[in-house]
Amino acid sequence: MFGQRGRMNLRLYALAAAFAVAGALLTARIAYVQLVDVGHYKQEARAEHFGQQEVRAPRGAILDRNGYPLATTVDAWDIFIDRSDWQDIAAARTAADAIAPVIGRKPEDLVNEVRAEASGLYLAYSGLAFDEGERLQGVEAPGLRVVRTEKRYWPEGDLASTLIGFVGRDHGGLTGIEADFDAQLGGSPGTIYFERDSIGNRIALGKERYGREPQPGGDIRLTIDRYVQRLVEGELEARIASTGALGGTIIVMEPQTGAILAMASRPGFRLSQLDFNDPDEGLFRNRAVTDVYEPGSVFKTLTAAMAIDTGHVTPESTYDDIGAAYIGESTIRNWDYSVNGVTTVTQVLQRSLNTGAVWLAQEVGADAFYQYLRAFGIGEPTHSGLGGEPGGLLRTNEDPLWADVDLATNSFGQGVAATPLQVITAIASLVNGGRLMRPYIVEQEITATGTRTFEPVVVRQVVSEETAHTVADMMNLVVEGIPGHLASVRGYHVGGKTGTTTGATLADGAVLDGNIASFVGFAPANDPRMIMLVKLDFKEDRLGGQVSAPVFGALAPSILAYLGVRPEGSQLVSTSR
Amino acid sequence: MAALQRPALPFPRNVPKPGGARGWLIGAVALVIVIALVQVNQFSRLTSTGYEIESLRRERDTKAAENHKLEAEVGRLSSLARVDMEARTRLKMEPAQRRLYISVNQPVPERRALPTRYLAPQDAPAVPADNAGRSLWQRLVDLLPF
Repeated sequence: MFGQRGRMNLRLYALAAAFAVAGALLTARIAYVQLVDVGHYKQEARAEHFGQQEVRAPRGAILDRNGYPLATTVDAWDIFIDRSDWQDIAAARTAADAIAPVIGRKPEDLVNEVRAEASGLYLAYSGLAFDEGERLQGVEAPGLRVVRTEKRYWPEGDLASTLIGFVGRDHGGLTGIEADFDAQLGGSPGTIYFERDSIGNRIALGKERYGREPQPGGDIRLTIDRYVQRLVEGELEARIASTGALGGTIIVMEPQTGAILAMASRPGFRLSQLDFNDPDEGLFRNRAVTDVYEPGSVFKTLTAAMAIDTGHVTPESTYDDIGAAYIGESTIRNWDYSVNGVTTVTQVLQRSLNTGAVWLAQEVGADAFYQYLRAFGIGEPTHSGLGGEPGGLLRTNEDPLWADVDLATNSFGQGVAATPLQVITAIASLVNGGRLMRPYIVEQEITATGTRTFEPVVVRQVVSEETAHTVADMMNLVVEGIPGHLASVRGYHVGGKTGTTTGATLADGAVLDGNIASFVGFAPANDPRMIMLVKLDFKEDRLGGQVSAPVFGALAPSILAYLGVRPEGSQLVSTSR
Repeated sequence: MAALQRPALPFPRNVPKPGGARGWLIGAVALVIVIALVQVNQFSRLTSTGYEIESLRRERDTKAAENHKLEAEVGRLSSLARVDMEARTRLKMEPAQRRLYISVNQPVPERRALPTRYLAPQDAPAVPADNAGRSLWQRLVDLLPF
């Protein structure tokens, strides 16, 4: 009896102990969950109960130098349809009748496209106008999902399209300023938390709070002037049409600051007719910055500047032009095969003599020549802030494959490649007292926290101020010393230099023996307010003086008048008091 | 005295003794009901406030969207392409063939940049510094001599 009772007690004790241990473990676990690891479980519970959604920040605007918007953002709606809700044909037709007219579709087409698949979301319209979307929100239509979004709007139409660039479906910048300054324009997205039901759907009137407020993107104010840009683009398109050019580039710059007033290149693209499915991705680039070319005879101004700056020659120094320069086994002739006899340095530029440029380069010597070219910024990016800019192609005498003939051809801008932006920047230093400026296109970043202004940057003094003035005067004589020069502008003293390159690869490789006709000019000659590079690409032979110089001659008066530069001898009709 | 000798009446059974268990129970139930009502009221107010906040946020977003739309509209109307088209078609103007110059002895008027979301409102009516943003009670308190 006792033994049986004792065994029973023992069992009870064992059971009680087991319960006690289990209870203790359970309590310990509860204490651990509730007290020690509380953060983790709280987070899990919250994640289960609350959904999280990224809220896009409004994208900033791109403004011209006077504050006019070139690209801005307007609110819009994306219209989705839940395919599963339209499997009932009657419901689908009713909904389609309500939705289709608002988004400009035929109801029957919409029904067929949505019902082509059984489930998932169908994007019926992207970027619907804000008013229309709000109206659609009030429509009772099964399966309709109206999602707030935004779309880019260009008040000036397709102006400066290759420069501005565009954004993708995710509203991130893909090309141009939109891509290069995406971080500043895009802002930082916010986070919104919302209550959701057991299957993860958002509860319509549930709790909602911002985890992080979206920070709107800043505005970018460019140095581009919409008026000058429009003039330039109109003239470029007209010249391409009238001359049959394959394409072209025009850049207008303030030589004293390096600010770009206008930058246009063709072929380009229209912002209003973007086609992301276009297989020709090469179109989506700013050729003024990304494409290199042989600058040709405009380079002779740099060679002349080097020779004068080193003291080897003056504008009146002469050489005997026999029509050819013999470099080893190579013979270099003038572009027109002319023989000019005793010729001054100024005449070398006026007549654009290759033999004269070779003479000047030989006077300078290879070491100094390439040091100067580097100093002019040839062979390195300008660091303008625009993406996709290459350094260019420059083979110096340090390269084992370099030969004496390279120095000769480089002296008149062949055997060397640079972007239009590099070329105009280098030559602008000659009309800016020898100071090489860093070209820039963004003047200000305007954000909620403040405004950041970009000041002009002097990269270096390349040649002396005296040399620069001398070469600028010689460039003035290039235009005004030749009667009837097509770059001359009535009422203004201008300077400039033509350039022609043969055997160029153009049209993205489609033309292998093309021709580039260019002109770099500035005005007024005594106090330059603007410098302009005009470059036109041709399949057939054309001269810069024939086709590009007139572009300068046509644009300069309008631009100078707009900049407030009064022509000499102009009729002043009255003065206000 | 007779009244004093009368036996005491039995305590009524159906009336709970003050401080008895039933009293506590009723009190507790009443308290729970009151707490529940207060909580319901609070939740109701919270929900209303939340709804109001949400409505105001939507209204703010709508106003911001309208503002963006107006900015874009101003940009479109002041675009050079439109000005050019209006000049040529509606006003029958032609590009100038001859330029005449007038010296204007006035500074160039400053134009306001668009969009304006980062600029301080300049056209808002000025509010007097005193009493601005002060409630009626605060202003009454200010009248006290101490």
